[in-house]
Amino acid sequence: MSSTSVYPTPINAFKQSKRSVLSVIVDNEPGILARIVGLFSGRGYNIEALNVTVVDVKKNLSRITIETLGEEKVISQIIAQLEKLVPVHSATNLANLSESYEAEICLVKIEFENEEQDQKILNFADIYRSRTVQKRQNIVVYEISGTSERINKFLDDLDTIGGIKVELVRSGPIGLGI
Amino acid sequence: MNNDNEFTGADILLKALKDQEVDTIFGYPGGAVLPIYDAIFGQNFLKHVLVRQEAGAVHAAEGYARSSGKVGVLLVTSGPGVTNVVTGLTDALMDSIPIVCISGQVPSHLIGTDAFQECDTTGITRPCTKHNYLVKDVSKLSETIHEAFKIASSGRPGPVLIDIPKDVQFAKSKYISKKDISFREHRIKAGSKNVDKTFVEELVNHIKKSERPIFYVGGGCLNSGHQASQELIKLVKKTNIPITTTLHGLGCFPGEDKSSLGMLGMHGNYEANLAMNKCDLMINVGARFDDRVTGRLDAFSPDSIKFHIDIDQSSINKNVKVNFHTNTDITLTLKEINSFIDSNNIDFGDKNYSNWWGQINEWRKKECLHYEQEDEVIKPQHAISRLYELTKQKDTFVTTEVGQHQMWAAQYYKFSKPNRWITSGGLGTMGFGMPAAVGAQMANPDSLVIDIAGEASFLMNIQEIATAVQYKLPIKIFILNNEYMGMVRQWQELLHGSRYSESYVDALPDFKKLAESFNAVGVRAKNISELDDTINEMISIDRPVIADIWVDKKENCFPMIPSGAAHHEMLLSKYDKENPENQEKGKVLV
Ligand SMILES: Cc1ncc(C[n+]2csc(CCOP(=O)(O)OP(=O)(O)O)c2C)c(N)n1
Ligand SMILES: [Mg+2]
Repeated sequence: MSSTSVYPTPINAFKQSKRSVLSVIVDNEPGILARIVGLFSGRGYNIEALNVTVVDVKKNLSRITIETLGEEKVISQIIAQLEKLVPVHSATNLANLSESYEAEICLVKIEFENEEQDQKILNFADIYRSRTVQKRQNIVVYEISGTSERINKFLDDLDTIGGIKVELVRSGPIGLGI
Repeated sequence: MNNDNEFTGADILLKALKDQEVDTIFGYPGGAVLPIYDAIFGQNFLKHVLVRQEAGAVHAAEGYARSSGKVGVLLVTSGPGVTNVVTGLTDALMDSIPIVCISGQVPSHLIGTDAFQECDTTGITRPCTKHNYLVKDVSKLSETIHEAFKIASSGRPGPVLIDIPKDVQFAKSKYISKKDISFREHRIKAGSKNVDKTFVEELVNHIKKSERPIFYVGGGCLNSGHQASQELIKLVKKTNIPITTTLHGLGCFPGEDKSSLGMLGMHGNYEANLAMNKCDLMINVGARFDDRVTGRLDAFSPDSIKFHIDIDQSSINKNVKVNFHTNTDITLTLKEINSFIDSNNIDFGDKNYSNWWGQINEWRKKECLHYEQEDEVIKPQHAISRLYELTKQKDTFVTTEVGQHQMWAAQYYKFSKPNRWITSGGLGTMGFGMPAAVGAQMANPDSLVIDIAGEASFLMNIQEIATAVQYKLPIKIFILNNEYMGMVRQWQELLHGSRYSESYVDALPDFKKLAESFNAVGVRAKNISELDDTINEMISIDRPVIADIWVDKKENCFPMIPSGAAHHEMLLSKYDKENPENQEKGKVLV
């Protein structure tokens, strides 16, 4: 039996939570990331992943990509709130564009114990066309990119091998509308 | 280097303030702003008002801004100077008041070392300002100040803070004047200048079709300027549509006009809330569907088509989904609606909504603001009614503190013009009213300025009487003294079984003697026979006056929509008992 909450929940913000990737163009100035992160934490929105880099040195612009979860209504509110920040030029939900592309990069270090594991790893790496960055006796480092979903699948597949040790880092998704 | 074209940071600040036509600044000195105070010493265009605590400076700047339509400016030192203004900045953000706060900071090379009176000012104030800056390079100072004023006053107004390290106040650079700065549009966010013609046409068509329309007007109308209110009055007259305003909308439309249903919301009028509940067309002009106004959301105006005019995109569909919206300035939009109606010769004369008005007049018969002045004890409602009657011939500015007295002021004092009513709505900041009155009096030296206060709130910024005395500001503090944090007591009575936990204000000072000790004047009314004389005496004295009005200690503020209830579930008087199920649900809300 599931227990009831001790307090009623006024609005269920996660009712129809959907993953969205937001692309935000900002003036690259001190405090801008703090403003954005503060907006999310202050208003109770989620940040699943975050990526920030200068994309135009001359115009001093950065592009911030944020993966977030929320109902459609919440996502439009997030965008409206982002667009109110003074250094923000634009905030776009990539899902609302007719065409957009998404990629994430992941580095995976795998330690294995035997030949059989090595073979399986090689096999998956091949299927997912991941690039070998380094290979030593029992350690291999791959670079794999693509949508976050694709990387998730690769990692799930690695998980089936058993007995290996995986350490990884992911950039979070980045995306571009056409 | 000795260059005639170069000025210190402190001088640049003053030049920029002059350029921005600032003539009044509220402030309090300290180590990190001494160079600026030095520059203030040697000039005469800028009047500095020395407050007694920085909280006073920020509320005074708010009162100045609200009552004048100009940007309010304040100056505080680093560390505690800045942390003392955090409440006021948040207040200004919630209520969309344009202010610019200049703060001193420790010298650049000490930032990050936990230096004396160092705090992370931009970090602390980031969530409570519209924007803030740390100026590290004196050559950026001019344009930063000009941008700050522009941002504070454009679009949906709000507070902006500029943090200036002490070395930057000494460093030299050229001054760039306001006219030589080209603002980057994306940073100003002034809202669209183009009226949405489709919106206007849709609205007029819906007005023609509707049977039960209503205007729901908020503080945005105030911020759009006096002309917005002129256009609104024209439109209401033309269409004969009833109008209700939020707490901040009071004064945008004459409160005594027969089309006005008064204030809506938690302590709003019965007819206003019921009309909102039953309308078929809602025209929201610069209001934000705040929880004090909507009551329980799932029961909010279920049958209406909703139009929303708001310069702030994020106010649209935030709490309530609307059918049509526009982000263009209210004045421009209302003007276009009026001229569309005129140029198409649309006549609403035959329409008149007579059934709707019939219904509204039935609701009005409830006389939801009725009270009985029974015996000798002054009813707080009566005190406000008398204050209104005895001051309405003057162009009076009213500020308030927060609590029951604030709601009674909103209910019983009628405003006929915008900018005369200055109250803390969004944040509900006790201690707001008296310093706000100082600011309003600075901006309107010849007008009558009254702070309608509760004794508990008044104690929160009581030190500012000294400011009023020093600058000969004849503000009146009209205390509805019930010896309780009345609003807290009321909630405890209604929702917590009359367990008055810590809401009695014990050990109160003698307000008359207190006034005298500050070299202000104290007057008192203990019973009904002294009320009018005391009010008249208060008005007649050309000095700061504290009027201690002893009122019924246990009076409650009605009507009331309890938290979590809907518009049609309002309590009309103490005899109305709420159903216990709602009570439990409402308890967790504020
Ligand atoms: C700074 C601050 N602290 C606490 C509150 C909560 N609060 C709201 S009204 C109120 C009581 C105000 O009492 P008083 O000023 O005497 O006004 P009354 O309700 O009696 O008219 C309190 C404590 C608040 N609004 N602001
Ligand atoms: Mg009280």
